[in-house]
Amino acid sequence: MSALLTSAAGVLLLSLGGAMWRIWRGPDAADRMMAAQLVGTGGVGTVLLLAGATDWRMIDVALVLALLAAFAAIAFVKAISLDGSGDPEESDDVAEIVAVKATGARAADAG
Amino acid sequence: MSGLAATGFDLMLCALILGAALAAIAVRDLFGAVVFFIVYGVFVALAWLRLEAIDVALTEAALGAGLTGVLMIGAVSRLERLTSRDQDQDAAGPQSPPTSSAARIATMVGAAGIGGGLAWGFITLPPSAGLQLAVAENLAASGVENPVTAVLLNFRGWDTLLESIVLLAALIALWSLARDQDWGRRPGLRQHARPGGVMATFGRLLPPFGFLLGVYLVWTGSAQPGGAFQGGTVLAAVWLLVMMAGLKAAPRVSSTRLRWALIAGPLLFIGVGLAGAVAGTFLGLPTAYAKPLILTIEAGLTLSIAATLALLVLGAPMAGDGLGPDQPDKEPAR
Repeated sequence: MSALLTSAAGVLLLSLGGAMWRIWRGPDAADRMMAAQLVGTGGVGTVLLLAGATDWRMIDVALVLALLAAFAAIAFVKAISLDGSGDPEESDDVAEIVAVKATGARAADAG
Repeated sequence: MSGLAATGFDLMLCALILGAALAAIAVRDLFGAVVFFIVYGVFVALAWLRLEAIDVALTEAALGAGLTGVLMIGAVSRLERLTSRDQDQDAAGPQSPPTSSAARIATMVGAAGIGGGLAWGFITLPPSAGLQLAVAENLAASGVENPVTAVLLNFRGWDTLLESIVLLAALIALWSLARDQDWGRRPGLRQHARPGGVMATFGRLLPPFGFLLGVYLVWTGSAQPGGAFQGGTVLAAVWLLVMMAGLKAAPRVSSTRLRWALIAGPLLFIGVGLAGAVAGTFLGLPTAYAKPLILTIEAGLTLSIAATLALLVLGAPMAGDGLGPDQPDKEPAR
C-alpha cells in the first residue's frame, strides 16, 4: 500500500517537472504564474500521498500549502493591475489591459 | 515506506530541487526567476517531509512558498514600474543598474567561501546521535509533548527570544527607509480592488479558514508539529489578503495599538523570563506551570510574528503610489 502511494506521489512529481518546463518557456508572466499554481496544487497532492504512505501528521503541511500557494496568485494579479496596487477588474476594459501586458511581456522576452 | 518507490521519489525530488535552483539563477526573465524560487520552496518543503522534519516543512511551505513569493512578486512589479518611469523621463538612461565584473567576482568568491565552509563543516562533523536522546529524556519536564516546541520555548528559550527581537529589528530597519515627510503614514502602496469583484470576494471567503488554520497550528504545536512561527505566518498571510483585497487599510505606523501588537510577544517572553530569574533561573519554566506559560508566550509571539511579517511584506510607510518624490502627496500625514 505504502509503495503504491509513494509511486503515485512520484507520478505527481513528474507532472510538476512538466510545470517547470512551462515556467522556463513562458512566454507570458501569466503562463509562468499558472505553472507555479500547478506546482502548488500538485505539491498539496504529493504531501497528502506522502502522509498516507508515512505519517498522517504531515497533512497540516498540505493545509498550509493549499492556503498559501494561492497568495502568490493574488500578488501577481495585484502586480499586473494599472498602478501595481489595484485590481484589473476595476478597469472597464479588462481585456485591453491583459492584451497590453501580454504584448509588453512578449516584447521584453524577444528583446 | 518501501525501498524502490521511495528511492525513485527521492531521486526525482533532488533533481527537481536542483533544477529549480539552477533555473532561478539562469532564467533571463526576472519574474521567471521569482516563480522558480516559489516552486523551489514547494519542493524543499517536500524534501523536509521526506526527512521527517514536519515542523521545518510547515515553516518552509508557509514562508518559502507563500509569504516570500508575495514579497518578491511585489518587488519585481515595483522595480519594473520604477524602471519604466525612469526611462520615460530620460530615454538615454541605463536600462539596468550596471554591475562591475569586480563586484560579480567578489560575490562569487563570497558565495563559494560560505558554501565551501559549510561543506567543510559538514564533512568534519564528529559522528554523534545529536540531542534527540537528551531532549527525549527531559521531555516530561518541558510541559509539552512536541520535542521541537520543547526545545524552542523551554530548553533553548533564549534563542527564540532573541529571534523574535531580530524580527522586530528588521521591521525597524525597514521603516527607517521611509522619507521624513512620510513618517506616520500607512505602510506600503494604497491597496484597492473592485467591490464585489473576484479579489474582494476572495478576501472575504478565505480569511475565516486561514484564521482557523493559524490558530490551530499554534494550539497543536504543543503536542504535534506546528507552533507560533508557522501559525503566525499563516495569520500574517490572512491579514495581508484582507488588506490587499482593499477591505481594510493597513494601520498607520504611528498607531499605538499596532506598536503594542508588535512588542507583545518579546515583552511577554522577557516578562516570563524575569519571573523565572526571581524564582531562580532566567527563562527557567517550573514544570508544574510550564504548559500554560508556554502557551501564553506562544499566543503573544504569534500576534507579534503575524503583525511583523505582514508589515515587512507591506514595506516602508509611503505616499501615493510609492514611486518617489515626483508623486503629489494625496494624504496628509497626521
